[in-house]
Amino acid sequence: MKLDWRQSILYIAALGIESCWLYALLMLLGIKVAGGNLSIPGILFLYPVAFLFNRLLRLLRWPRACLLGISWLAWAASMLLMIKVQLFGHLPLSDTAWLLSIPQSLVQVIYTFRPELLILISTVALWWLGRRLAYSSVNFVALVSKFQFGLVILAFTFLIASPLGVTLHGQVPITLAFFLSALVGISVAHALEGTSWLSGLNQGHWGGLLLFSISLILVLGLLISVVITPDLLQFIVDAARWVWGLITRGVAFIISLFPAPEPASMGPLPEEPMAPPAEEPDWSELLRMPDSVRSGLRIGWTVMVVGFLLFFLWRVSSDIFRWLRRKLTGMSGAEFEPLPGAFKADLLGLLKRILFWWLRLRLLLGKRTKAAALPEVNSVRQIYRQLLRWAGAGGHPRLSSQTPHEYCHALSGLLPEVQSDLALITQQYVLTRYGAWLPTEGELGQLSQAWHKVKQNKLKRLN
Amino acid sequence: MDKTAKETRPDMSPVKEAASRLISNVSKVIVGKRETIELALVAMLCEGHLLIEDVPGIGKTMLAKAVAKSLGCSFRRIQATPDLLPSDVTGIHYFNQKTSEFEFRPGPIMANIVLIDEINRATPRTQSCLLESMQEQQVTVDLETIPLPRPFLVIATQNPVELEGTFPLPEAQLDRFLLMVKLGYPSEDEEGAILSRFEKENPLDSLNSVLETKELLELQKLCRQVYVEESVRNYVTAITRATRDHAGIRLGASPRASLGLHLAAQALAAIRGRNYVIPDDVKHLAVPALAHRLISKTEAQLRGRSSEAIVSEIVSSLPVPVEE
Repeated sequence: MKLDWRQSILYIAALGIESCWLYALLMLLGIKVAGGNLSIPGILFLYPVAFLFNRLLRLLRWPRACLLGISWLAWAASMLLMIKVQLFGHLPLSDTAWLLSIPQSLVQVIYTFRPELLILISTVALWWLGRRLAYSSVNFVALVSKFQFGLVILAFTFLIASPLGVTLHGQVPITLAFFLSALVGISVAHALEGTSWLSGLNQGHWGGLLLFSISLILVLGLLISVVITPDLLQFIVDAARWVWGLITRGVAFIISLFPAPEPASMGPLPEEPMAPPAEEPDWSELLRMPDSVRSGLRIGWTVMVVGFLLFFLWRVSSDIFRWLRRKLTGMSGAEFEPLPGAFKADLLGLLKRILFWWLRLRLLLGKRTKAAALPEVNSVRQIYRQLLRWAGAGGHPRLSSQTPHEYCHALSGLLPEVQSDLALITQQYVLTRYGAWLPTEGELGQLSQAWHKVKQNKLKRLN
Repeated sequence: MDKTAKETRPDMSPVKEAASRLISNVSKVIVGKRETIELALVAMLCEGHLLIEDVPGIGKTMLAKAVAKSLGCSFRRIQATPDLLPSDVTGIHYFNQKTSEFEFRPGPIMANIVLIDEINRATPRTQSCLLESMQEQQVTVDLETIPLPRPFLVIATQNPVELEGTFPLPEAQLDRFLLMVKLGYPSEDEEGAILSRFEKENPLDSLNSVLETKELLELQKLCRQVYVEESVRNYVTAITRATRDHAGIRLGASPRASLGLHLAAQALAAIRGRNYVIPDDVKHLAVPALAHRLISKTEAQLRGRSSEAIVSEIVSSLPVPVEE
């Protein structure tokens, strides 16, 4: 299949759009899961490779199942290569530890998300996207869809990066590249198809159309930047704070209506009985509710919320079905067979299944939950697990025969500037794990600070 | 795990303080070798017996005497020779002509601390008479069972090079020793310090006891209260079980070895001021507590793989109980 050069531009634009949001998303996940020690361009490189590989496969006139098998075999090889290069570069190929790490990461997925799993999932996604692109034609509608979807993912990634405490580098270049790819792709596709009022005016002059579109976007961007000033943003933020203040005051008033959870501590008794002060009666006291009423209200509230959710689900699903019915009845040759009560039965079946699986999961995790019931202990162990993952992703995993103190000593040699923080994390872990010690809130705070200080450093990879 | 249990666990600072006192005292005689002195103290705190093995002139007897003298307990010394009889160790019933009755004259084993110098020079018969006293803290003489004073500690020395005229200790006897330590040659600086320290007088002569019997017994009880988390306990048994399956070992460590390692780890934790055991304690004690109890295969011996090397290999291959 020969590609027209304009068609090639469309493919490149599609690759560009998807690469941009994939890069941002993978960078965010890479920092959270592997402490930023994974090479994201290296992983992303698989996407064009998958596209080209599947494009070449498409030229072969072999059975579809055979092509599918070859394609996913190539994915498996690429994924293994990626894990070896990215995470276990220091190990020889003959050492099976890096191969065993994949099933281990799958087994431990309930408790921890390891970098191996991130590579596994991201390579599956990249390979699937590359294959899909190779087998599909890129047109105006497809590009607009890609642009819309990519924009949502990109905005979502940038928005959640800050609350998660992750600094994403290169947000501006990524955004520029995304819009440039989208703009070029959509303009070229539009000019090729020539289906709108613009094509009537500029038929055959798609270059002019491209320039016009870019100018239009730039002018719009300029207008937005003129209107949205820092003062306006500050005003919006102040307004939001005022509204939030109102809400919190309201909530505080509602909370004040409930009885105090613990009786106030008794001070020393006065020597002489004092006459009660002649004060006006506090009407809010009359609104105080006893515990039994409060429990009843809580159950009622839960039932109401669950009921609303179910009703919402019912309404949305009904609307979708009504819309589908309208569409289908309008189609020639299509038959519509009403099944009264089928949807209700399906919905109840789904809810039952969810309940069943939830109960089963609780049963499976019951023992573990009992063993690690105390949140303070869980916090310390969680931080230590994060340290292990972070150092492991940095090329310095803990050897299975190393004790926490031995591992701390080894890491301290690599990061002498955070030696005291590493020692603090290790000591707290050892106390909690082997000494059955409950850390205080202050100790947990110190531990958290130490971990934040440690993870800001980057480990040098061993050759 | 509950907060109350943690709070009621005893403070180990008395053990740490006493250990520091004793180590400083012994260090007045023994230059360097702090780790070996600490191991000797571990054995004392577990009421286990200590075997010191090394070449002549290293200070084995000196260490044993210094430790014994630092503890304010009754002390006896037995010089093992091929003509030493069991009755020379346990004591005999003799006929007192004045009272016209048989009376028991206790042997040197009837002491709190017994130093058996060059134990492998005694005959197997005499060595065997020590089994009962070492394990059950009692001796049986002429159908009469006599309990030994508490605490009862045997410190034995043996020389691994001069094998002529010696009788290697049987495995049953070796298993009775909680720890076996080796002193090793001193460094150049340490050797210089030994010369200057012993130039005018023997510091052993002026050594005072720093720990009384009653105090030692209390510390022993305190050490038993050190907390051992379940996974650490499993780690101890995993190490001993691994010795039984190792390709280079003919006879692995016994359950008594597991118990010994467990108790020794508790004592070491207490000496270091902790009321809980960590895997580092177990790793540190694995070689001194297990290696002497193993019998390696001939192939391993021919390849020069000592029991110590095999235990070290096992410890460095077994996973430590830590988060994944």
